[in-house]
Amino acid sequence: MAIDGLIILDSAGRPVIQSGYTSHPPAYPIFHIDALNTALSKATRPEDVDPVLYVPPGFGGEGSACCHVEIGGLRLVASVSGDADPLVAFAFLQAFQDILIDYFGTVNVATLKDNFDTVYQLLEETLDPSGHPLTTSPNALRDIVLPPSLLSKLLASLSPSVNSTHPPKISCSGANAAFASPIPWRKAGVKHNHNEALFDVVEDMQSIVGRNGVTIVSNVWGKIETNAKLSGTPDLTLTFTNPQVLTDCAFHPCVRLQRWSRDRSFSFIPPDGRFVLAEYRYAPPQSVVTGTSGIVPVPLVLKAVMDAGEFGGTLSLTLSSRLSTKTMENVEVEIYLGEDAIGAQCAASSSGTGTVGVGEGGGSWTFDPRRKVLRWEILSMRTSGSCMLRGSWTSKAKAPRPARAFQIRFDIPSYTFSALKVDQLRLSGENYKVYKGVRGRSRGSIEWRW
Amino acid sequence: MASININSLAENASRLGMRIQETFSEHTRDLSITRGSGSLFDMPDEKVKNIGRQLDSSSDREKLDAMKRLIALISKGRNVSSYFPQVVKNVASQNLEIRKLVYIYLLRYAEHEPDLALLSINTFQKDLTDSSPLIRAMALRVLSGIKVPMIGSIVVLAIKKCAADISPYVRKAAALAIPKCHQLDEGHQTSLIDIISTLLRDRSPLSIGSAVVAFEAVCPTRLDLLHQQYRRLCRLMVDVDEWGQISLLNLLIRYARVMLPKPVLSHDGEMVEEADSDLQLLLISAEPLFQSKNPAVVLAVVRVFFYIAPPSQHSRFTNPLLRILSNSRAVERVALSYLVVITCAHPHLFSSHYLRLLVRADDPQQVRRDKIRVLLNILNADNYQIILREFTTYAEDMDDEVVGNAIAAIGHCARLIPDCVPQCLAILMDMIRSKQDIIVSNAVQILKSLVQNQLLSGTVVANVTHSPLSIISSLAGKIDDVRHPQAKACVIWLVGQYCVTQESGTFFEGIADWAPDVLRKSARSFSSESNIVKLQILTLSAKLLVMCPTDRTLGLLCHYVFSVARFDIDYDVRDRTRMLASLLAGLSPSISGDEDTQDQGGVVLRREQVKRVLFEGKEDVSVNEVIPGEIHSLIGSLSLTVGKDVGSNTVLPEWLESGIDPTLRVNEDDPVLTPSVTTARSQYPIVSANTAPIVLTPNQSTSPPGNGSKVPWKDLDKFYEDESSEETEESESNSDGEHSNESEEDSHEDNTDDSVTDEDGSSIPNDGREEDQEGVQENTV
Repeated sequence: MAIDGLIILDSAGRPVIQSGYTSHPPAYPIFHIDALNTALSKATRPEDVDPVLYVPPGFGGEGSACCHVEIGGLRLVASVSGDADPLVAFAFLQAFQDILIDYFGTVNVATLKDNFDTVYQLLEETLDPSGHPLTTSPNALRDIVLPPSLLSKLLASLSPSVNSTHPPKISCSGANAAFASPIPWRKAGVKHNHNEALFDVVEDMQSIVGRNGVTIVSNVWGKIETNAKLSGTPDLTLTFTNPQVLTDCAFHPCVRLQRWSRDRSFSFIPPDGRFVLAEYRYAPPQSVVTGTSGIVPVPLVLKAVMDAGEFGGTLSLTLSSRLSTKTMENVEVEIYLGEDAIGAQCAASSSGTGTVGVGEGGGSWTFDPRRKVLRWEILSMRTSGSCMLRGSWTSKAKAPRPARAFQIRFDIPSYTFSALKVDQLRLSGENYKVYKGVRGRSRGSIEWRW
Repeated sequence: MASININSLAENASRLGMRIQETFSEHTRDLSITRGSGSLFDMPDEKVKNIGRQLDSSSDREKLDAMKRLIALISKGRNVSSYFPQVVKNVASQNLEIRKLVYIYLLRYAEHEPDLALLSINTFQKDLTDSSPLIRAMALRVLSGIKVPMIGSIVVLAIKKCAADISPYVRKAAALAIPKCHQLDEGHQTSLIDIISTLLRDRSPLSIGSAVVAFEAVCPTRLDLLHQQYRRLCRLMVDVDEWGQISLLNLLIRYARVMLPKPVLSHDGEMVEEADSDLQLLLISAEPLFQSKNPAVVLAVVRVFFYIAPPSQHSRFTNPLLRILSNSRAVERVALSYLVVITCAHPHLFSSHYLRLLVRADDPQQVRRDKIRVLLNILNADNYQIILREFTTYAEDMDDEVVGNAIAAIGHCARLIPDCVPQCLAILMDMIRSKQDIIVSNAVQILKSLVQNQLLSGTVVANVTHSPLSIISSLAGKIDDVRHPQAKACVIWLVGQYCVTQESGTFFEGIADWAPDVLRKSARSFSSESNIVKLQILTLSAKLLVMCPTDRTLGLLCHYVFSVARFDIDYDVRDRTRMLASLLAGLSPSISGDEDTQDQGGVVLRREQVKRVLFEGKEDVSVNEVIPGEIHSLIGSLSLTVGKDVGSNTVLPEWLESGIDPTLRVNEDDPVLTPSVTTARSQYPIVSANTAPIVLTPNQSTSPPGNGSKVPWKDLDKFYEDESSEETEESESNSDGEHSNESEEDSHEDNTDDSVTDEDGSSIPNDGREEDQEGVQENTV
């Protein structure tokens, strides 16, 4: 299960950070970088590049693979070989990415270059030279590797003399505090002026709608993102009024599984800061008519007339919302027009009273000549009324092959499909008031076949 | 004199002024927070020269700056090993930040400069006694990274010392140093194995994962070392960190396969499953991990259930496995490649979940391909309607390979489920009318194999519109629309093979009308066709000639084809022409084009014989299979994901029919607990088997061996009792001195190491995971 090494590449494919690779020939990481860059330059759509790229053996050795994910214009690459499980590599890349976000807020080339020494220390602590992931819990790491802060930079630049006279007090305080906590995921001795626990319920809809407008499959995946700023060692119990909507749950290690299986409440001592408390799938109520498990209704309707003739075709789309109260935001409709597509000419309009875009009513459209994608964006779509896009597109091919479906993405702020409702949050073990905040947020990704 | 004084004063003053200015500008340089170390990362080359001077300077800040520059150079792929001597000098720096960077540097280069690294070996050894666990761990890491066999015994001593450290973090580092030491000198194996077995007995779940890694590297075959620890490791599972859980589960799978009896099905009256109680313990302890957020952990548990669970428990992994598909695109890609194998073995587990596996147009290519394979695997009589409709949709994909797979899948449906043959044929016939070349050619090839299959097996469908012969006739009618060479060759072959008809009233006696028509059309375009099509046109004309040797028109047509082919540019075509011509010599002597054929002698076949040669023996229906045959790779291995051999040599051991004596697994230190109580979710009661020979002497407070060097163990409940007054009821009732029992429990607070006692203890109410356990304890006392 060992990971041979980790490389971070910038948007141009040059390595920014690279782990040791001490037990491999020097050319080994270069092969991996080359293989990835070649694959990326060949693909018309970067998402079509296989996340597990096979790298043929260099000199006499065995083949290996390069696992990569994209984040903030960067690419995190983990090399694996032998009987390693690529899934471990991806789980590690995900964990490392979370750590970087926890330390630097955002991840891009600039932050990495600014803090490369911290990144190297993190790499040292999270990945053993033999390739086994070590400490990946951000709370435990913060004790070992000090996060960059204004204060530490001020100290470093202003007081070298102070540093050298009392070195242990300033610089080793972190090291001594390390591993003092009895709970692996929580720092010891946390103090906050305002004690608050914020829960963001984020739901993501994944659906496929067939040609006839009937929803074939529709699933909603939820995440409870938590930001806990609580002093001491708080023991929280979170209960829901409708816990039956949660199914296929996965939990942060802090959640006591037994309490969940017994009375469907979350009982946990949270880590300090941001973390994902739980993930779930929304189990819609059983449909009375069919008796089968219900399908979550798709909150919009697309009427699509798409016609592919010789050297192009025409399209006519009508999009309207099915929601009764909430506004849909950042609605995007995309279709890939085939590799020979040249361009498109469309007109967006709106009918009814409900739509408000920026400038005109029906949103705006663009054609990306590199990705061959026609994209229609509507910033805000109210409950009534509908938006329309009519136009034509052209292609070099006699029989063009556009994608067989439209991809629709949207956000619905302050809304959850499951209507999961927090009943109460109880605190024990500490004597202070906790400010509790719960927010909902939804997004969706729908494939609408035409 | 005075003037000199004033002069020197002025000089001093100006110097001082400059000094102040210099230091000021120097100090403010780093204050520009936004630039941060970025300027260090992309520094100009002339600054590189200063690094050596900076490393030798007395200022910590200069040194830190120099170290950062060095790390930046490493990061750019430069070789900076020439600074090694100067860096090594700083290894004893008081500043922790410098020290950490020095260690990072040393870890990179200690291998290349072992002699120089040896010089600083005293410092590392001294650091092993540092008060900070961080320094101790780092020192051990560097020490084990120096690849000089000479110091092997020093490293072993250091590892031994760290393995008994009070901090689990250092013990973890000790475990990870073991494989490196073993790699360096295998002579230390025995002492290393001793350390490993000590580490495996560790109470804290934190270092277990690393101990398992060391075990796998040093003595993977010594599964006997695990006997005593097996039950404890199972119970500890929930509290091990996620990466440790993966290693531990993989190790325990191997242990179970070698040491535990295989679960058997006995047929007395009804099917009764018998599984060993220790196997049940592993399954029950692993099951809660299905709820881990880490997809790799979930997969490790899937492996446990797939490889060692009795069949009735296989269904447990269905939902967790489907759940991780939604984790991320990359995870979906990898998990699907395993799902292909799993659905091959157990299609019924997923056949009702087909909706979760439908292909989206924006899925990556590999995902689309694997999903089609999975859907085919789980196809059955209940779900074929929807899956077939999906395949039809996928045939319009943008990717040629996916189109091919989807259409082949439709053909496969027809073979698996005879009921849907008419439907499949209708779909394929529909596809032939498509404007897309790729769809037509794939559909034709699949149709060919379907038609052939049906004609051979004799199960001709009653439906007249889709009887095999009518399909061929409509294919023949569309020959002009079929452009793909392989598809065209296919149609021509079909036409030739099945041109014989019983019907009367056709233009040529015994031949269906469409056959000569195809020959006429293709003869016209012969020269512009590709090779495989030309070969099939030759075969067709030969077949028609055999069927109808007397007809003049047909004879002329064949003659034309053969004469064109005889001078073809491709030698394969010329060869085939010559071969067929001599075959047909008995029927139409002139066809070979040579006047003196008669003189050549040799055997001339009669018509019946030629017919046999040309038409018979075509039963071999080989379709490019969508599903590969036997898969040898294990689930969770790279070779399965990339579909190539990457030199993995892991083989799961076969079950031993009867396991070893379970009493070997009895551990004196085990608490008296029935296996089910320790799990977080006890909703699956185990079979009566848990009354297996657990003969324990519970209340002996022997401290486990190997921990003697530690500070006396302080029980967690005791600890909280001392430190705080707010105790929950349960823990109070328990703090009556049963340390050996309590300490073995797998609660999260078990991670407390002794260093906690110096910290101000904050009160933690009892963890819910151990509540049930407590209840049982009360009963047993």
